[in-house]
Amino acid sequence: MVQVVVPSIVAAQAGGRQRFDVEATTVGEALRGLPVADLLVNERGEWTRYLNVFVDGRDARELGGPACPLTGSREILIIAMISGG
Amino acid sequence: MGILALVGTRKGLFVLRGDDDRAGWRVDGPLLDGWGIYHATVDTRDGTLYAAANHVAYGPTVQRSADGGQTWKRSKKIGLPEWSGLTVRAAWHIEPGLPQEPGTLYLGTDPGALFRSDDAGETWEPNRGILEHPTRDRWFPGAGGLCCHSIQLDPGDPQRIHVGITAAGTFRSDDGGQTWLPANKNVAANYLPTPYPEVGQCVHKLLLHPARPDRLWQQNHCGVYRSDNGGDSWERLDQNGLPSGFGFPIMIDPNDPDTALVIPERSPEYRYSPDGRLTVFRTRDGGQTWEKMSDGLPQRAWAVVLREASAFDADSVYFGTQGGSFFALADGDTWVEGARHLPPILSVEVTQWSR
Repeated sequence: MVQVVVPSIVAAQAGGRQRFDVEATTVGEALRGLPVADLLVNERGEWTRYLNVFVDGRDARELGGPACPLTGSREILIIAMISGG
Repeated sequence: MGILALVGTRKGLFVLRGDDDRAGWRVDGPLLDGWGIYHATVDTRDGTLYAAANHVAYGPTVQRSADGGQTWKRSKKIGLPEWSGLTVRAAWHIEPGLPQEPGTLYLGTDPGALFRSDDAGETWEPNRGILEHPTRDRWFPGAGGLCCHSIQLDPGDPQRIHVGITAAGTFRSDDGGQTWLPANKNVAANYLPTPYPEVGQCVHKLLLHPARPDRLWQQNHCGVYRSDNGGDSWERLDQNGLPSGFGFPIMIDPNDPDTALVIPERSPEYRYSPDGRLTVFRTRDGGQTWEKMSDGLPQRAWAVVLREASAFDADSVYFGTQGGSFFALADGDTWVEGARHLPPILSVEVTQWSR
C-alpha cells in the first residue's frame, strides 16, 4: 500500500480529497488508479514535464519514470511545477 | 429577472449578477479555482453550466454543474484517435445543441478538432469530417494554437453547422457534420503568398444571426466581414470607418440582423486599443458605416479583448479585458464597469437569472 498526495487543484476535482491509498507495484500503475488519473498521466502512466513526482522524497524520473518500482515505498508526492503567471 | 454573466478568467470562473438596468453588479467566485476558463456557458435547455477549463499542468477538461456552480463534474477524458497522431491541447468553446436535440452539445478544441456529446457532456466524440478534412495539411496554428473556437448552429436547419478554426478558416456542413466545405471566399489571408486561398484564413470569431441564419458575421485577422448567403461569399466591411480591421470579438443584436459591434486593436503586430483609447464600434446598417461607442470607457487604455471575451443578449452587449475589467452597455449607450481587477478575462457569456 502506498499513499499518493495530489496538488490542491487536483484534490478539488476529487471532492477535496488530497490523499489516496492505492495498491500498485509501479508509480505508473499507482497514478493510473487514481480517480483523477486523467489530469495527471496518459494511458501509459506518463506525466508531463509540468509535473514532478517524488517517491519517498526521490524524483521518480531518476528511478525509471512510470516503471519506478514501489517495493517498500510509503508516499508518492505530486507537485506541479511553479511557473507562469 | 437580472443578468448573470459567466466571466472566465485565467484563474477561474467568476459569476457576476447584474440588475435589469445593468448599472450595478455583484461579483462571486472564483469557481473552478485555478483553472483557465477559455469559455463557460449556460445550457438554457436545462440550466446546466458548462466550462472549458484548461490548466498548463493538468490539461484540457470540460466541467459541468447542475447546481449553479456549487459542484462540478468533469467529462471523461477528451481524446483523439491514436491514428491521428494528435492530442487535445485545449478545450476552447462549448455550444449547446438545438432545442430539439436535448443532451447534445458541441465542443471546439485545439488542434482544430470538433467534438460532439450526446450524453450531456459526459463523453465526447471527435467529428471525423473535420479531423480528416482534406485541407488539414494547409491549416496552421495562430498565437493561441490551432483552435476551433466558433460553432454556430442554424436554428432553421439542424443539418447546417458552421465552425471557425484559427488558422484554417470557416467551414460549413449541410449534412449534420458528415462533410465540411471551406467557406472563405473573398476573405483575405495577407500573411500567405496567395492572398485569397481556399483555406488558411485566420477567423477570430464567427457569429450567425439567429433570426436570419444565412447572415454571418466574422471578425478576422484581416478585417471584418459579413456574409448574406450562409458563408458562400463574404464582403469586407472595415474600410468604412474603423480605425483598424484587426480585433478579436464581435457582438450582434438578436433583434436586428444589420447591427454588429467590434472592438478594434492596433494591427496584428501591436494588439491593443488604437491610440490608447478603448472604443467599441457599432454598425446598424450591415457594416456600411460605423459609430464610436466610448461613453463610460476609460479615457486612456491600452486594452486587449480576447475572442471569447464578449457576449450579447436581446437587451445589451458585454465584454471583458485582459486587464480584468468587465463592461456592460447600460441605458443611453453608456458603458458601466461592472467589475475590475479580476484576473485576465478570457471569456464572457450572459443569461438571465431569477432573484
